[in-house]
Amino acid sequence: MAEPFISTPVITDAAESPLVGHYEQGTFGNLDRGAQVTLTERFPLAICDVFAWTGSETKSANAIKRATKLALTKTRDAVSEDAQAFRHAPGRWTVIAIDPALPETLTTAVGDNATVVDLSHGRTVLRIDGGQSRRVLSKLFPIDFKSDCFPLEKGIATKHHEIFAQIQRVGDDAFDIIVFRSYARAFWHALRRSSEEVGYAVE
Amino acid sequence: MTSHRRPEGGSAIDRDDTVGFTVDGRQYFGLAGDTLAAALLANGVRVMGRSFKYHRPRGVVAIGVDEPNALFTVTTDGVREPNVRATEIEVFDGLAVESQNRWPSLDNDLMAVNQLGGKALAAGFYYKTFMGPVIGPLKGTRFWMMCEHVIRRAAGLGRPGTARDESRYERINAFCDLLVVGGGLAGLHTALEASEAGKRVIVCELEPRWGGGADGKKESEIRQIVDSLESKPDVTLLNRTTVWGWYDGNTLAATERITDHLRTAPEGAPRHRHWVIRTGHVALATGALERPIVFPGNDRPGVMLADAGHRYAETFGVLPGQHLTVLTNNDSAYQAAAALRHVGANIRAIIDVRPEIGAGAQRLADRAGGALKLGHAVVGTSGAKGLKTISVARYNHQTKSFSGGSEQIETDCLLVSGGWSPVVHLASQAGAQPIWDEALQAFLPPDPDKHWSVHGAAAGDLDFGHDLSPAPAPVFEIRHPGKAFVDFQHDVTADDVRLAHQEGFRSVEHLKRYTTLGMATDQGKTSNIAGLAIMADALKMPIPEVGTTRFRPPYTAASLGAIAAERYGDLFPHRLTPMHDWHTDHGARMYAAGHWERPESYNRTGETVEQAYVCEAKIVRQGVGLVDVSTLGKIDIAGPDAAEFLNRVYTNGFAKLPVNKARYGLMLREDGFAMDDGTTWRLAKNRFLMTTTTANAGKVMSHLELCLDVHWPDLRVHVTSVTDQWAGAAIAGPKSREVLASCVTGTAVDNDALPFMGIVHGTISGVPVMICRLSFSGELAYEVYCGAHHGTHVWEALMTAGKPFAIAPYGLEALGTLRIEKGHVTAAEIDGRTTARDLHLDWMLSSKKPFVGSAMMDREGLTDKSRWTLVGVVSRSGEKLHGGAHVVAGDRDEPGASLGHLTAMAFSPEMNAYVGLALIEDGESRIGQHLYAADPVRSQTHIPIEIVSHHMVDPKGERMHG
Repeated sequence: MAEPFISTPVITDAAESPLVGHYEQGTFGNLDRGAQVTLTERFPLAICDVFAWTGSETKSANAIKRATKLALTKTRDAVSEDAQAFRHAPGRWTVIAIDPALPETLTTAVGDNATVVDLSHGRTVLRIDGGQSRRVLSKLFPIDFKSDCFPLEKGIATKHHEIFAQIQRVGDDAFDIIVFRSYARAFWHALRRSSEEVGYAVE
Repeated sequence: MTSHRRPEGGSAIDRDDTVGFTVDGRQYFGLAGDTLAAALLANGVRVMGRSFKYHRPRGVVAIGVDEPNALFTVTTDGVREPNVRATEIEVFDGLAVESQNRWPSLDNDLMAVNQLGGKALAAGFYYKTFMGPVIGPLKGTRFWMMCEHVIRRAAGLGRPGTARDESRYERINAFCDLLVVGGGLAGLHTALEASEAGKRVIVCELEPRWGGGADGKKESEIRQIVDSLESKPDVTLLNRTTVWGWYDGNTLAATERITDHLRTAPEGAPRHRHWVIRTGHVALATGALERPIVFPGNDRPGVMLADAGHRYAETFGVLPGQHLTVLTNNDSAYQAAAALRHVGANIRAIIDVRPEIGAGAQRLADRAGGALKLGHAVVGTSGAKGLKTISVARYNHQTKSFSGGSEQIETDCLLVSGGWSPVVHLASQAGAQPIWDEALQAFLPPDPDKHWSVHGAAAGDLDFGHDLSPAPAPVFEIRHPGKAFVDFQHDVTADDVRLAHQEGFRSVEHLKRYTTLGMATDQGKTSNIAGLAIMADALKMPIPEVGTTRFRPPYTAASLGAIAAERYGDLFPHRLTPMHDWHTDHGARMYAAGHWERPESYNRTGETVEQAYVCEAKIVRQGVGLVDVSTLGKIDIAGPDAAEFLNRVYTNGFAKLPVNKARYGLMLREDGFAMDDGTTWRLAKNRFLMTTTTANAGKVMSHLELCLDVHWPDLRVHVTSVTDQWAGAAIAGPKSREVLASCVTGTAVDNDALPFMGIVHGTISGVPVMICRLSFSGELAYEVYCGAHHGTHVWEALMTAGKPFAIAPYGLEALGTLRIEKGHVTAAEIDGRTTARDLHLDWMLSSKKPFVGSAMMDREGLTDKSRWTLVGVVSRSGEKLHGGAHVVAGDRDEPGASLGHLTAMAFSPEMNAYVGLALIEDGESRIGQHLYAADPVRSQTHIPIEIVSHHMVDPKGERMHG
């Protein structure tokens, strides 16, 4: 059995998004063709890193699947209404859920097969959706976002300049971008700026 | 409509849309679609620039990126962009440009007196003039320094400004199966074929229009292909986009000019966009550039490339002159002559160096009209600010000899064609050595491989139609007395090339550097081949044996703003702590520490930084203060071997550290030097939270991963960066415990429950916190950690709880002061050159276990007594010390050698003096010595100091253990 886990669930009343004061709802940029992308911050969320011990990757993937009810396998990433998970390094998954109990649930599920690190406070999840989302993301990341290269549910780890970022495709034209909390405001501004050309809405 | 603008023709212009622009403040009018060069030609302007060295009047020579002369500075809202080719500037209402390198005006440039310098200004002028003794003290460098200012004003290009460029720049990444470089017919056909086969295709064309140099009659064919390509979802068409670099892995760089041609940019549109294109295959359809012929007076305004003259008429409806003549060594110029005649030009003569021409050329010559002078050459030109006459003589191009006298022909425009050079630049950048083609008298790309192919004129497929031959006569220079220019932009003459040869510069690379041939902004697009041919002639070697220089990126000037893209200014990736807004709301001056923004000090109105930090430090020593330590690196270390792992990476023991206790640890690099320090907290049997210095967080994380992945893969340990997961606040001062006691619930914080280096878990204002009692300031102090989203909530709760105790926030400066007084080290002392012993941390070097660095730390050089070691310094004169100042033994007149340097300084309220830390030679034995802190360059100070122990305040640590 794994050791008791150190986690700090996000308490909504006491929590503050890193985008506070910089998250203005509305439509912006070149709206000649309307807002062609929509930007949102998903907050608060439970976010964990699951790191399997060598040889326990399949068991760990199955444990994440049990804990989140995602159709996850050792090699396949997954997205549902309530949760999402993707492998960003060998034997290493980022798991995101609406349920704040995710860290404890995962810790129990993986047992001695993996370690679980609570990153609920340490990461910020931004979503871009819309017909021009790939173009906007192409301005920020050296990644081929074409559908057959970046299929639905796939997740990757990359960076924008020095900002480490993980990206998961969560819809036809929707992508979640996960960045360090401390860089969230800088990245948010870069994302907004990159979206101005195609017009964007903040919801 | 000016007399230069024809009533018909002009595929690029909109005759119903007149635009106004200024050159040197003078108003001109052009048509939408004009380039600046076309519009000026239409206005009868012939002088469009002054040459680099001699200030000779120069006119436009080309129609595209190869233009060497017509360079202007574009001024937009006070921002100056110099050296922009008039052939690429698209005019719009309000465009403002300035001519360059002239004084007082382009038409009347007094600096043209340089022409009198004659051979004194020839190749190697700088080398010859500014080396060795000249007159008395005016020699070598000193003479150069005296002359530099004058020379730099007298020769050069455009002047950049200092106004901040507020334009937006952007970069974008793209992936494709096929990148087609060049939107001429060859490129468009290649793209169409690939797109119909289902490939993902990107086509880049550097001009605004598609079709490249294709004949105007093919306009509908071009439109049809472009329409077809535009309808395909997997095709991206990028005009005004120059592919300028080809790098490893078929990665190409391009610059898209998005708003340069617009008066007002659409919302959100960047000025330039830098494309990074990763492609499976590159199709080069880059076309070919026409070459001039070198002859005396070939730089006079009105002498122009034949194809350029043709295209100015066809594309912009502008005739480059009223009475045209043609000089050629090949058939293509006949096509230009006939086409110009067709739109109403008066062709006075066609001068061909060849004694005979084919039927196709003859037919075109008949159509063009004018005298046909075969076996003739132009041997001179006249006209003050524009061509008036040319001198023509009978010429045998095989013997390079002249016969008979010369004949004068009145003409205001001489169209020249010296053959064509396929654009091999990108292929050359990719490593392919160009191959000389004897028939075309040009370098061609070598045989492609599976990663690239070459199409159309770029491959040497020069199809001029009309039974015309693409092969020119091998004539690059008509050698006759007079100044004959090879490189227009850098004023390099044919005689300069020969002089370089005489002076021993025989390699083409040396020729280039000595004469600066091909090194101007046009990178020798019109001059390289001619220069090479003249050098080959001098060497009496065939051209391919002389070789050509390898082309390097960029093909044309690339926008640095776009390459840097949106990473600067307000989009700099600032890293903010969870309490950032609180700090700025409470008057903090923020300080950039790497990417992090940290409070430097909280200044009240009118207060200096020094006044503020001294006050803050006093508050901590006497009461209680709160500082944001969220920037410290934090690493989660988990697994059954975590304790063993820490035992190996730290110099001191961690295996027996109890749960809920922390320990100060030191890491060495493998070479035995100190790497980083910090505290590590044992949160559970197999779980630790390591803290690192802010500066070294990334380095330590990489080090740990290396150790686990490479050195000890058998250890079952996982490391994860959790720097951003935790907000951290250090509460320090004699009253800190009382503040915590008043706000922490769920745990006691007295000395028994929370001894030095103890850890407790509790809540503050309903939020879970971890508290560790440790001190960087030397006072009774605690670090309070909570989830980052709760950071401001807990910080405010601590400030509220501390109010009765007059708590105050303190910043980096006060934190620095407190640690200097205590002699605690940071990255300023752990600078990669110091050992644990240098820093008096040898007590942390365990003798009971090996650790990273232990095998190397006892090397002779690392244990030498004379090494720089850490000491404290106190200013004896009351003067302010300066970090980085040298410590010397002598006074200002005889300072002696540096004994070391100050790593940090502050005003110590405890000692009522400026104090600092220093690393100095044999530091310990110097305690008590009176030395000096010398800062001769920055502050010009030489301050008497006393060397003291680095533990300047509370050396026994009674306060923090109390």
